[in-house]
Amino acid sequence: MSSAVTRMLERLPLKKQTAQSGIRLFSNQEPQQQQEIEDDEEFRVLSLRTVKQQFQRRQQVRRDPVPPPRTSRMAVDQDWTAVWPGPRSFHPASVPLPLRQGFTERGAAAPSKFANAELMKIPNFLHLTPPAIRQQCEAIKKFCTPWPKGLETEAKWQRHFPLEVTTTDYCQSLPTIRNPEARRVTISLKLSDLKFDAHARDKFLRLVGDRYDKDTDIVTFVTDRCPQKKQNYDYALYLLTACYHESFVTEPWEATKSEADMEVYLFERNQSKLSAERILNWNAQEGAPKVAPSKSFADCVEQLINEGENEYNLGKYKEEVKKMLNIA
Amino acid sequence: MKTMKFVLSWNINSLLFCNKEINLRVKHLRIICSKKNLLQVFLKRRYEQYCGCRTCIILVVNTVPNMLQAIKSLRWAQPVRALSSVTTSPGVEANLSPAAPAPEPDKLYSKLEIELRGIDPAVLKSYTWFATTAAEHLGIEKGNCWSPRKAHHERMTLLKSVHIYKKHRVQYEVRTHFRYMNFHKLTGSTLDTFLEYIERNLPEGVALQASRTELQQIPEHLRQPPEQV
Repeated sequence: MSSAVTRMLERLPLKKQTAQSGIRLFSNQEPQQQQEIEDDEEFRVLSLRTVKQQFQRRQQVRRDPVPPPRTSRMAVDQDWTAVWPGPRSFHPASVPLPLRQGFTERGAAAPSKFANAELMKIPNFLHLTPPAIRQQCEAIKKFCTPWPKGLETEAKWQRHFPLEVTTTDYCQSLPTIRNPEARRVTISLKLSDLKFDAHARDKFLRLVGDRYDKDTDIVTFVTDRCPQKKQNYDYALYLLTACYHESFVTEPWEATKSEADMEVYLFERNQSKLSAERILNWNAQEGAPKVAPSKSFADCVEQLINEGENEYNLGKYKEEVKKMLNIA
Repeated sequence: MKTMKFVLSWNINSLLFCNKEINLRVKHLRIICSKKNLLQVFLKRRYEQYCGCRTCIILVVNTVPNMLQAIKSLRWAQPVRALSSVTTSPGVEANLSPAAPAPEPDKLYSKLEIELRGIDPAVLKSYTWFATTAAEHLGIEKGNCWSPRKAHHERMTLLKSVHIYKKHRVQYEVRTHFRYMNFHKLTGSTLDTFLEYIERNLPEGVALQASRTELQQIPEHLRQPPEQV
């Protein structure tokens, strides 16, 4: 190793001498070179490299001159939809806008659009300019149909189409395009659009339970137990049909319905009637016909208990009691 | 015994001649060479489904010198092709009935609610502008288009160090911005057209939920009370 190095060192000085001092080697050329030195006004740069190393200096890569960006040759009234027809990452030489984007220290201008990663990262809408949207909408207009004439207001379309079916679609760019929520189907219907009798309505409400909203009179069925949307829709309709038909069937055990299970207050079945009769007949002889409380009194009591206590009901009850007891 | 990996490709119908009786067991493939110098290939159904290409097989082979020659004589593979309709001949040709089905009446949708989720509110805003402009051109009634003031932040607080230093944590968060658009009174064809146009131009990083409310008549069996049994 050291021998090799010494050999290298021995070689070098000779080469240096040949490179630098051409004077010594070619003594007959001395006077000419001295003249050259005097005439030449340029500064002779000292080069300590060997001849071989001189030629091994970095090879300049020949690059073709970059042409100016396209934007310099773009007309002001060009068709931009032809320049940028589809979604594309930002290309600064094709966009004739003086955009700047990015954070710099105070006072400095934001970085220009050339080699700007921020501008390239963000999705741009250059392919959806107003003329492009207009063009594309004109093209797809033939697939659209207008809303029918007689269904302008909500009341009208609810009268003709009372059933509402709500479904959701999902469009996402996750590793999976599927979404398990997409199979959920919601059916909603106003109860007044279905025909019931008293018993059927009561039974239907008990079957349906929480799905009925008293304030809006809407019953809602939400289904997602089947894997497909179509199956869930069929199942929801089946539930509705089953509840509707079941509510018209009277089972034998329904006869055991007691006063505690009643959903409304009926004057006939209750203590209030007995009390009123006792008051009216307190002085009657046995065998005499019993005076029954008046119908208006019965209605008034039912209204008071079913609808709750408010000014009107209480006032009406007061009037009815006064009338019954013959107080002026 | 050397093991070598080959990517081979040959037609199911091509046969190979070889001297010895060789039994190669491969994960998805079993090659049995009979004494009558025929190489028959049995493909497992499972592998077909996995790769989808009946003409490409990957082999791990325990080789023997003359087996090497045999395998070398096989045609070398081209890169795996995506399945095209060219390779497999359909067993049952689907008969496309020329008669079109009877035209169904157009469905009616009282409402289309679109919810957008994204990480950049500027992108959502641009997209909303695009969707509402398109709706205007197509004659769709625009409802309430709004966005909550604040985004939803999902934060995670993790330990900064691999071991101990419980007091030093690092926090990450993901901010999701929302935007809602409502459109009213659309027919089935209008809604399908509009929604497809919107969804095709959905930018990257934005998710869309489209909730539609269809109007239907009460089914026939529910219009009258059932007859008493």
